[in-house]
Amino acid sequence: MSHRLICSLFLFLSMAFVLAAQPGELSFDIYHTPKEVNSFLKSWSSKYPQLTKVISIGKSSGKNDLFVFRIAAPAKGSPDPDSRPAVFVSANIEGVHPVGTEAALSLIQKLLTKYGSDSKITSLLERRTVYVAPLLNPDAAYSFFARIRIERRRNNNPVDDDLDELIDEDGPDDLNKDGLITQMRVKDPEGQMIPDPKEPRLMRKADPKKGEKGIYKIYTEGLDNDMDGNYNEDPPGGAEINRNFPHDFEYYVKAAGLWPVSQKETIALVKFLVSHPNIAMVLNFSTENTFLNLQQTGRAKVAGAKVKVPQRFASFLGLEADKEYDMKELINILKEMPIFGGMEINESMIAMFLGLGPAMSIDKKDSPYIEAVQKDYKDGLKKAKLAYPEKKAKGVGKGSFIAYCYYQYGVQVFSSDLWGIPEPEKEPEAKDALTVEKLKSMSSEEFLALGEEKIAAFLKEQGAPPNFNASMLMNMVKSGRVTPERMVQMMEKMPQRPAVKEGEHPDSYILKWSDSVLKGKGFVDWKPYKHPTLGNVEIGGFIPFLKTTPPPFEIEKTIAFHTDFYIDLMGRLPRLEIKETKVEALEDGLYQVTAYFTNTGWFPTSTAQGVRARTSWPIRVQLKTSKGQYIFSGHSLVSIPSIGGSGDTKKAEWTIRGRKGSKITISAKTPKLDTVTTTVVLQ
Amino acid sequence: MRKNKIFLVFIGTVLCLTFFTPKTISAAEVKLSFDHFYDHAELTKALKALEKANPQLMKVISLGKSHQGRDIWAVILNNPKTGPAVHKPGFYIDGNIHGNEIQGTEVALYAVWYLLKNYGKTELATRLLDEKAFYLILTMNPDSRDYFINKAEAYRTGLIPYDSDRDGVADEDGPEDLDGDGFITQMRKKDPNGRYKAHPDDPRVMIPVRPGEKGEYTLLDDEGIDNDGDGRINEDGLGGYDMNRNYAFNWQPNYVQRGAGDYPFCFPETKATRDFLLAHPNIMGGQNFHNTGGMILRGPGAKNMGEYPIADKKIYDYIGKKGEKIIPGYNYLIVYKDLYTVYGGSIDFLYSVLGIYTFSNELDMDPYFFFPVGGQETGEQEEDEELRRMRSLAERLEEMTYHDLVLLGEQFSDWTPYKHPLYGDIEIGGVKIYGTRVPPLFQLADTCHRNAAFCLFHADQLPRLAFDKLAVKKLERNLYQIDISVKNTRVTPSISAMAHEKKLHRADRIKVEGKDVKLLASGQLTDRFRGITRKVKTREDFIWIESGVPGFGKVDYRLLVKGKGSIKIIYDSLKGGYLSKTVTLK
Repeated sequence: MSHRLICSLFLFLSMAFVLAAQPGELSFDIYHTPKEVNSFLKSWSSKYPQLTKVISIGKSSGKNDLFVFRIAAPAKGSPDPDSRPAVFVSANIEGVHPVGTEAALSLIQKLLTKYGSDSKITSLLERRTVYVAPLLNPDAAYSFFARIRIERRRNNNPVDDDLDELIDEDGPDDLNKDGLITQMRVKDPEGQMIPDPKEPRLMRKADPKKGEKGIYKIYTEGLDNDMDGNYNEDPPGGAEINRNFPHDFEYYVKAAGLWPVSQKETIALVKFLVSHPNIAMVLNFSTENTFLNLQQTGRAKVAGAKVKVPQRFASFLGLEADKEYDMKELINILKEMPIFGGMEINESMIAMFLGLGPAMSIDKKDSPYIEAVQKDYKDGLKKAKLAYPEKKAKGVGKGSFIAYCYYQYGVQVFSSDLWGIPEPEKEPEAKDALTVEKLKSMSSEEFLALGEEKIAAFLKEQGAPPNFNASMLMNMVKSGRVTPERMVQMMEKMPQRPAVKEGEHPDSYILKWSDSVLKGKGFVDWKPYKHPTLGNVEIGGFIPFLKTTPPPFEIEKTIAFHTDFYIDLMGRLPRLEIKETKVEALEDGLYQVTAYFTNTGWFPTSTAQGVRARTSWPIRVQLKTSKGQYIFSGHSLVSIPSIGGSGDTKKAEWTIRGRKGSKITISAKTPKLDTVTTTVVLQ
Repeated sequence: MRKNKIFLVFIGTVLCLTFFTPKTISAAEVKLSFDHFYDHAELTKALKALEKANPQLMKVISLGKSHQGRDIWAVILNNPKTGPAVHKPGFYIDGNIHGNEIQGTEVALYAVWYLLKNYGKTELATRLLDEKAFYLILTMNPDSRDYFINKAEAYRTGLIPYDSDRDGVADEDGPEDLDGDGFITQMRKKDPNGRYKAHPDDPRVMIPVRPGEKGEYTLLDDEGIDNDGDGRINEDGLGGYDMNRNYAFNWQPNYVQRGAGDYPFCFPETKATRDFLLAHPNIMGGQNFHNTGGMILRGPGAKNMGEYPIADKKIYDYIGKKGEKIIPGYNYLIVYKDLYTVYGGSIDFLYSVLGIYTFSNELDMDPYFFFPVGGQETGEQEEDEELRRMRSLAERLEEMTYHDLVLLGEQFSDWTPYKHPLYGDIEIGGVKIYGTRVPPLFQLADTCHRNAAFCLFHADQLPRLAFDKLAVKKLERNLYQIDISVKNTRVTPSISAMAHEKKLHRADRIKVEGKDVKLLASGQLTDRFRGITRKVKTREDFIWIESGVPGFGKVDYRLLVKGKGSIKIIYDSLKGGYLSKTVTLK
C-alpha cells in the first residue's frame, strides 16, 4: 500500500513539476520520466538555439525516441560542431539506471547555464563539442515509471524466448497488486532454497554439508500464462542493449540478442559513432564503474603473448611449428622474408594472419593514463565525502557499450555507476591488525614477523581467493619472489572483492540499509498468497531497482561530483599545435623544412588500442608546394600515428628545392583533433 | 601427379565441349547459353524471361538495391500445387558475393534453368520442384559484377567508398589503365639492383634471384600512379571491404578480420540476404559460390567457437564426399583447418545461427593452380626450399604454355614499354582479368553443370519425411491410442544437431486437429517391440518433438487421444516439411 502512495505522490509531484518547470531550473531530487527528459531537451534547445541541437538517431524497438543532445558554442576559428573534437556522454543504456539519466541532464544543465560565466566551460564549448545521450534504452527505462514496476533491461523487441511460436506471452504478473514485481517462494519437495537462519527474510541455497535440507523453490512473481508448465519464461522484451555490442559478445545467450548490433538501439548508436569520427572520448553512466574496477569479463588472451604458428604456415614460412614465438620475434623474422616484399608487418597483421582473435586486455600503453584518472577519481570521491562501496564496483560487461568503445571504436572510455548501496561501517580494526597502508612501508622481514595468523586475517579482510593462503604468501616472501611493496602493487591491480563475513548472507547489508535508511521500504515482507497453479505461495523480496537507484535525496550529491569530474576529463582532450617550424638552407635553392607537432592536451592524440584497431586516424600532415618547388625527399603526405600527452612532440621533415623567399603551407588534419596549419618561407 | 590429372580433365573437357551446344528448346522454355558471363542487365532479362515462361513455378523478387542502385534479385522456385513453400524443406544458393568471383552467378542461373527445363521430364527435377523449395540470390554483388564484366575491373569488395589507408579520404588512390589497353595489368621496371630476373626459357616470366645473384627487374604494383602523394601506389581503390566477413556469427572487427565492415550486416547487400533468409525459416540446406581452387568447403571458419557437433559433421561428410565425385578435382575441406581463418563468414551464420547445412564451393582451378591443402601437411616432410622454387618456376612456365596454346594468347598482355610519371621507363603487361580465377568460356558450362548437380544432390538429401505407420486403437468409449511413426529417407535430420543443442529455432511437433479432440497423454516409444515409452510433456493438442527425425531414421510416438470421428494428424517441422493425414477414431 505504502508503495502505491509513494508512487502516486511521485506522479503528482512530477506532474506539478513539469507544469512549473522551466529549463534551467531543473533540480535533482526526483526521477524524470523519459517523456519529461525529452521535453527538457526540446525546451533547452529552444532556449539555447545557438549552443544546442537535438539530433534524432532513430527509434527504439518500442518506437521511443533516441535523442543525442549536441552542445557546442559558436566561436571564431572553430569549425562546425560535427567537425570539432568531441566527447560523447551516454547514460542509462541498461535501462535500470535512471540516476544515469539524471546525471546526464544535470551535465547538460551545468554546461548550458555556466557557459559564459565559467571560463573552463566556456573555452571547452568554444573548442569542443559535447554530445549527450541521456536515454539509450528508453523501452526499459519506462518500466521504472510504469504502473507495475519491474526491473528489466530488455528493449521492446518481440522475441519468442521459449520457441513456442507465441511471443512475449508469459511474463511476470503483479499478483499481490502492490505495483511491484518481486518474488514468490513455494514449498516444494525438490526445493533447494531455505530462509537464511540469521536473517529469515533472505533466501539462500541449502548447504547439505551443514545438514540443511532445501524447502522452497523461488519464482519471479507471476502466472504460467501460456500453461506450458514454466513460469514467466517468455516475458515482454527482446535484448539487453548493453550486451548487444560486438566486443566479447555472448552468442547463444537470449538476453544478449541473436547477434551483436542486431537491435535498433545498438545499430542507431554504432551508426552515430561511426558517422561522427570526431568523437575522441566516451564518458558513460551505467552500472559499470571503470574508475574503480577495470576488470575484463573476457578471457585474457593474445596481445603480446607467445604464439604458436600452425604447421601449414610454419612449413611455408620456414618456422618451427612447436615453438612458441614472441610477437616481436615473429615480426622481426617475417620482416626479413622476401615473400612479404618489405611490407609493413605489425602485431595486428600477424594476429589476423594466424587467426589469433581480438585483444582482450587494456593495451599497456593506455594503462598509465587510465590509472592516473582512476587515482584522481578515488581522491575526488574521498574529498567529496561520498561513501562509496568501492569493492562492489562492477567491471566492464561482455558485449557492453564501453567495451565496444575502447576495443573497437578505439577511444578513451570511462564509466561511472554514480552510486551503490553503502556498506555498513566497519568495526574498528584491532590496533595491531595489518592494513594495506602499513604493508606498503614494510620490509620483508617485518612482514614475516607478523606471523601466519595475522596475515591470514588480513587476506580474508582483503577478499583474497581461498587458494591464496598465508603460508603460501610467506613462502613467496621468504624466497624473495615477492616483497610487501610489490604485493601492494599487485593488490591494487586485482579485482576488488567484497569481503563477506563468515556466515553472513551477502545481501544482508542491503536489507540493513533498507531497514535503517529507507525505513524498510526496500523490501516487501513475505506474505501468503493463493496462487492458481502453485497453490499456497508467499510473495516478497527486494523491490525492483533497489540496488542501482539511489533514493531521491541522495541523487544531487553524487551527480554534482560526477558531472564536475566528467567536465574536468573533457578538458584533458588532446590538443594539437604546430609549436615550431624550422627552415634550414642547405645550399642555394635547397632547404630542409621541419615542422614540430605538439600535443598540449593531457591525453595522447589517440589510444594505443585505437591505433591497433585502426579506428583512430593517424595525423595526416600535408605539405603544399607551389609552382617551382619540388620535394627532394619526403612525401607530400606524411602520417604520424600518434603523439603522447602533455607536450609530447613529433616532427615531420622534408628537403625542398625551391626559390628563396617562396612559401610553403603545412597543415595537419585528423577527425579527432584540431586542424592546424602554418606557412613557412624558404630562406 | 595432381597437375597431370587436372590437365587431363581439362583436355577432356575441351574435347567434350567442342560438341556441346545447348539444345533448342520448346516455346515455354528459355534459351540460355552457358558460354557467356551475364552482366546485371542480361541477368535481369534472363530471369524475367524464365519467370514469364514458368509463372507457376518461379517468382523473381527484388530484395532491395545494391549501393549503386542495382536490384538484388532473388528467385524462389516452388510448385504451389504440391503445397506452399513454407511446408517444404528449402534449399538456398547464393553467388558472387565477392565481385571478382563472377562465375557463381552462372552456376546458380544454370541450376534454375536446369530445374525448370527438366520439370515434368526427368524424375529428379520433377521430384525436387514438387517436394522442395529453392531460394537463390544469383549475384550478391551486382555493382562489382558489372565493373568486372563491363569495365574489366576486378573488385572483391562492394562499392561503398571506404578509406582503406585511413588517411581521411576514401577511394582516392586506385589503379589506372595507364597504357589504355582496356585492362589493369602489372608494372615492372628494368633495374640492375632488382630482385627478379627474366626466366631463361621465357622472358615473360619473372623469377626471384638467389642471394648474391644479379637481378634485372623490380616488380612494381598493379598498373597505376600515386594519386594522393603519400608515396604508395593503389593503396586506396574503390571500396575496400569484404562482404563475406560481414555476417553476424563470430563477427570480428577490422583489425582482427580485415574487411569486416563497421558492424554485422552494415552493407545493403548483406542486410538484404539476411532478411531474405530470416523470411524463409524453412531453408535447411545452403550453398555459396566463390572462386577459386576447386574446393567444397564447410565451416567453422575459425576455431575459437569450436567444431560442429559430431552428428552434424557426419551429414557434412556424407554430402561433401559425394561432392568430390560429382566435381572431379575438387576437395572437401574445412575452412579454419585446411584454408585460413574466416570470421563473420556467410556459411557460419547460416549454419550456426539459422541451422542451415551450408557449403561454399571455390569454383574452378587454374590448370597450374597450387594450394597447400589440408591433409598434406601432416606427416609430409618439410619441403626443401630449392625444390619449392623449382616447382614454382615450372608452374609459371606451364601457366605460359596454357596462355599461349589453350587460351591462344587472348588473356595475356605482353610486356610493353611505358613512360610512368613516377617511375620513368617501365613495362606494363601480364595476365588479364579473364586469364585467371574465372573459367575460360569453353569450360564454363562444365563448371555450371557439375556444381549445380552438387546442389541438386544436396537438395535431394534434405529431409524427406513420411508417415511410416498411423495405427488407431480403441481403448474405451471416446478414448483412443494412436501410434505414429515418421520416417526420414534422407541423410539430413529434420533439425540439425546444432539447432537442437543451441535452441536456434522451434522444435518439430505432432498435432491433432478435429472437433472436440484432446490430447491426454503421450510418450515416445523407445522400444517399439516391447512398447516402452518415455513420457513427453503434452499440451492440449500437440507435443514437441525436440530433436526431430534423424537422417535415415525414424521416430515413434504413442498418443492418448480423447475424441471421436475423423481427426487430422499433423507432423509439422519448421525445416523438415509438413505431413498431414486424416484418421477416423472408431
